[in-house]
Amino acid sequence: MSVVVTTDLTRRFGTVTALDRLTVEVPGAGVIGLVGPNGSGKSTLIRILLGLIRPTGGNATVLGSAISSPRDYASRVGVLIESPAFIPGLSARSNLVSLAHLRRLPLERVDAVLAQVGLVGRDREPVRRFSLGMKQRLGIAAALLSDPELLILDEPTNGLDPAGIVEVRELLRDLGREGRTVIVSSHQLSEIEAVCDHLVIIRFGELIFSGPMAEVMKRTREHIDIAAEHAADTGRLESALVAGGWSVTQADAVLRVAAGADRAADLNRAAAAAGVTLSRLVVAQDNLEEIFLEMTGRVDGELADGRAATDATVA
Amino acid sequence: MLAAVRSELTRLRQPRFLITWFGLMALFTVLVNTIMITFVSGGGNLPPGAPGVAFPTLAEMESPSGLMAGLAAASNMFGIVTLSFWAVATATDYSSGLVRLLVAAEPRRWRLLAGKIGALLVVTAAATTVAALVNVFAAMPAAGAAGISTAAWGTDLIGVVGGAWVHLFLALCAWGVLGLVIAVLTRSAAVAISIGVGYVLVFESLIKMAKDVPSDWLLGTTLGAVASGGTAAVSFGTALALALGYVTLGLLLAGAVFIRRDVTD
Repeated sequence: MSVVVTTDLTRRFGTVTALDRLTVEVPGAGVIGLVGPNGSGKSTLIRILLGLIRPTGGNATVLGSAISSPRDYASRVGVLIESPAFIPGLSARSNLVSLAHLRRLPLERVDAVLAQVGLVGRDREPVRRFSLGMKQRLGIAAALLSDPELLILDEPTNGLDPAGIVEVRELLRDLGREGRTVIVSSHQLSEIEAVCDHLVIIRFGELIFSGPMAEVMKRTREHIDIAAEHAADTGRLESALVAGGWSVTQADAVLRVAAGADRAADLNRAAAAAGVTLSRLVVAQDNLEEIFLEMTGRVDGELADGRAATDATVA
Repeated sequence: MLAAVRSELTRLRQPRFLITWFGLMALFTVLVNTIMITFVSGGGNLPPGAPGVAFPTLAEMESPSGLMAGLAAASNMFGIVTLSFWAVATATDYSSGLVRLLVAAEPRRWRLLAGKIGALLVVTAAATTVAALVNVFAAMPAAGAAGISTAAWGTDLIGVVGGAWVHLFLALCAWGVLGLVIAVLTRSAAVAISIGVGYVLVFESLIKMAKDVPSDWLLGTTLGAVASGGTAAVSFGTALALALGYVTLGLLLAGAVFIRRDVTD
């Protein structure tokens, strides 16, 4: 069963279209990555699903209920929207107790989620003393409070140290394995690649891709990174390779050549023929970040060229 | 709705917030009692239209209700304090981004608004109690030192104190709702407080000074009359009805905006 279904979902802010007839189905259970460049409409989509803003057109359902009646599913959805939001003068525990009261939950849930995110022992301190990482954990605790079927987490690893990122990654995997659906919106594509089973990519409010992560990763291609022994030779090497018909891009002193492992020896010979000795020759696979950039455009500035620059401020 | 009230009460239980609120109420009670008693015992008269002040005569001070006269005299100051704290409690939800979590957890937004009002009414009742108690203990020595007779002050003590408490509480509820309404509309505590203070200290005073303009209907005057249990110009019933009208209008406006508006903070 799909946990989220949108049909022609549209939202305009004045002349800017944040969501443009978005039609997508998000499957239930597992971790779903929601990605897109800045201004792609991710936050707008999340806010519409949560009943924070209303669509201009189209419709959608969450856990089988129409978004026009968010009260029907609010108790089954946990959220972390953008930065964690708490009363800084209150302790972590009091902040959670306040939310537990609002959701009519037993206070035992507060202890359970504090333990789940590793904040036991610090829970009576005012939130204003918390680091960004601790606030992020508290935000995740708040999202887990109602033991929800569907979790929507916007940048859940934001501000966490490497150990914290690994913990959250494990937590997301566990939650997905438990049969919950976790929708993760993130700019950290390495995180998305590491934990997600399914991917939804949107750009300019339109669906670019929706499908299993494995399907996206099928689009990966091999490339060869090479570096000249002397950096001064890099330009000459690049010119020689381009002249020889190789597809080359340069990043600092490394040249990335679009070719598979079977062409590595040819590449080495071409460098030698140009009189350049290689200090590095590595065959590698594209990662999600590279596929994402290929699918959505390379950088925000490039994306903005084709659309109103104000798009980036919308979501 | 009880869940929303409990939730809001938990959020309001911030020591710094409550101590500042109650502390200001106590401070203004002592200040106004001291100034008022010194003024009245010296036979002074305030200029007409002085902002937020309505001092009693010496005869009124020496009557049984004189004990609590300070509460009514300071009511507009208490009103500004109450407006400010209601505005801060409301606008903080926006500035902290908490409103996103709250609306996601309880999509019936009217419940959130009602819960906030319910919880703030509870704290306002406590703040009114603080002011009333401090008034009792501040007025006695101040009056004694100024040579004002307090012989009648013990008469019907509970009735006098209870009546003053109810009148002040009703007025402060209206002030608080005004703060909440402006904060919902502007989503900013600073703007809400500026508008509230600017209205009472500047706008309403200017209107009062313009002699041709009737001023009995003005918000500060109306709520001052409620806090005093009625004045020579406006009866308690009229003032209460007018205040109720202001509160109803404000709540309808705030409710419509809060329920309809996109939560983008």
